[in-house]
Amino acid sequence: MPGVVQPERASAGANFRNHLLYAALQFGGWGLWFWSQASGDVLTGEASWREALTVWGGIGLIGLWLTHLLRAASKTHDWFALSTGALLGRAAASVAIISAVLCWASILLTLTVYGSPVTRFYAYIFHKLPIGLQILNQSLAFSSIVILWVVLYFGLMSQRWRHRAELRQAQLNEALQAAELRLLKFQLNPHFLFNALNGVRALIADEPAKAQEAVTRLARTLRYTLAAGDAELVTFGREMEMVNDYLALESLRLADRLDVVREIAPGVESVRIPALLMQTLVENAIKHGIAPLKHGGTLRISARVADKHLLLEIGNPRPVDVDKEPNEGLGLRNASERLRLLFGPAAKLELDLLDPARATAKVRLPK
Amino acid sequence: MKALIVDDEPLARRELRRLLTAFPWVQVVGEAADVDEALEQVDKLAPALVFLDVQMPGGTGFDLLAQLERLPRVIFTTAYDHYAVKAFEVSAVDYLLKPIEPERLAAALSKVQAAALAAMSSTLPPNEPASKQEGPLEQIFVRDGLRCWFVPLREVSVFTADGNYVRLQWGKESPMLGRSLVALEEKLDARRFFRANRRQIVNLDYIESVEMGLGGRLHVQLRDGPEIEISRRQARQFRARMSV
Repeated sequence: MPGVVQPERASAGANFRNHLLYAALQFGGWGLWFWSQASGDVLTGEASWREALTVWGGIGLIGLWLTHLLRAASKTHDWFALSTGALLGRAAASVAIISAVLCWASILLTLTVYGSPVTRFYAYIFHKLPIGLQILNQSLAFSSIVILWVVLYFGLMSQRWRHRAELRQAQLNEALQAAELRLLKFQLNPHFLFNALNGVRALIADEPAKAQEAVTRLARTLRYTLAAGDAELVTFGREMEMVNDYLALESLRLADRLDVVREIAPGVESVRIPALLMQTLVENAIKHGIAPLKHGGTLRISARVADKHLLLEIGNPRPVDVDKEPNEGLGLRNASERLRLLFGPAAKLELDLLDPARATAKVRLPK
Repeated sequence: MKALIVDDEPLARRELRRLLTAFPWVQVVGEAADVDEALEQVDKLAPALVFLDVQMPGGTGFDLLAQLERLPRVIFTTAYDHYAVKAFEVSAVDYLLKPIEPERLAAALSKVQAAALAAMSSTLPPNEPASKQEGPLEQIFVRDGLRCWFVPLREVSVFTADGNYVRLQWGKESPMLGRSLVALEEKLDARRFFRANRRQIVNLDYIESVEMGLGGRLHVQLRDGPEIEISRRQARQFRARMSV
């Protein structure tokens, strides 16, 4: 589906921008931190520029490299698809590991360069503190910078990931709806088809003219059903032509058990309705209403326009026994689902079963 | 062979009638458009073969079979819902899909013919009247819930009364039949079936062994499982039957 592929392709360009943004933030952030630490050591810690730049340049590069590794790990293992709890756990572990490494690297570096864990001036200020507390002090300082990094990066990433997931879900729903629509439409009953063919076979010998007419109608019905896969909406007039073919074929089968009354108001013909909607309702009325009745009955089709809505009614007698109720209405449920997908709440389909011996399907569509 | 066509569609009946003209030994004696009409016709015409549509107004082909006392041979005709026919646990019936293919019809009819010939030569002893109407039941249609069976009675080992119903022990199945034991007993082949006690009728062909019980009763072990008790009153008759 083009609708699904497109955002992927668009994200290739977006990917490059994201990498650029990341690089800028990563170098900028660590650079800023390196500069503030180094200059602090020089200005207030009485270290030389060479010493401070070596120490903080080294630590800064290690921090840059470790957080970059963290980013790579989070991407390859899809951490942002995990639950919040799992993500937080990984974030905490990363903070602990990276700040510990940074802390020990800084101790090694300062010991070699300054000869003490901090600059000589700071060593003088801190000399009363036990060495353990000095190390704790250092590691807390390193943790806070790593925490800041993790909070910023993980926060941004999980938000972006959620956004993308929502987008994907929306596209999926759309594709699903399209597929559903296609499926819901194809409801031409095979029972009808084979019975019609059987009827035609019977007519061929005795009434060839009638047989020819039936074949034509059957071909038109089939073609319409197949073409309905392309167009969502058709004019009411076009749909009724098909319904008339369909009813003629059903009359062949049901003979005098089927009687049809049409009440089509002027001006209805050009209103657009979902393809096969009328056909589904008429088929339903015959299948569950008229065909099971020994003496058949009258199918009433009425269509009119009232306050910017098209009102359709298909009424039929039905067998009174209620045992078979649950079977009824798969076609109707599909039709009603289709209306919902196409028009939202503006359209309505209801089956009036108040009269135990009658059923009336009522449809209201925005014109 | 007398045949009846049961289908609610006039065109379908016409078509089948025409197809059957190719088989002169099949004589279509009547047509029916629904279950009630069909019941009437079966009573009146006693067809040996019924072509039966599944979906009809006011009841299905199965409803018709469930109401028939004596089953003719049945060929189902259906446009699409052959699944319903396939639901039969034992396909003692054939089905034809509409539009019916002449070759398939010929195959189904030759099966019917073969079965009729076999029945003719094996089950009717020469000294009995050839009229099938008077002979004992050989097959019944049983519908229990959603499942249907054509049950050949000689394969039923024991009938047990259960309220107003009768439970059939038929291989692994034990479907319920909506008749009383007394009504059923009248229709059974007395040479094969024996009233063992107040509640049970046993198929003599299935008896494996007989043991003496208390107070003149007999315990009968059947081939496919259950043990049946023969009441004292019936035991004497049983001995007489078995010693002959």
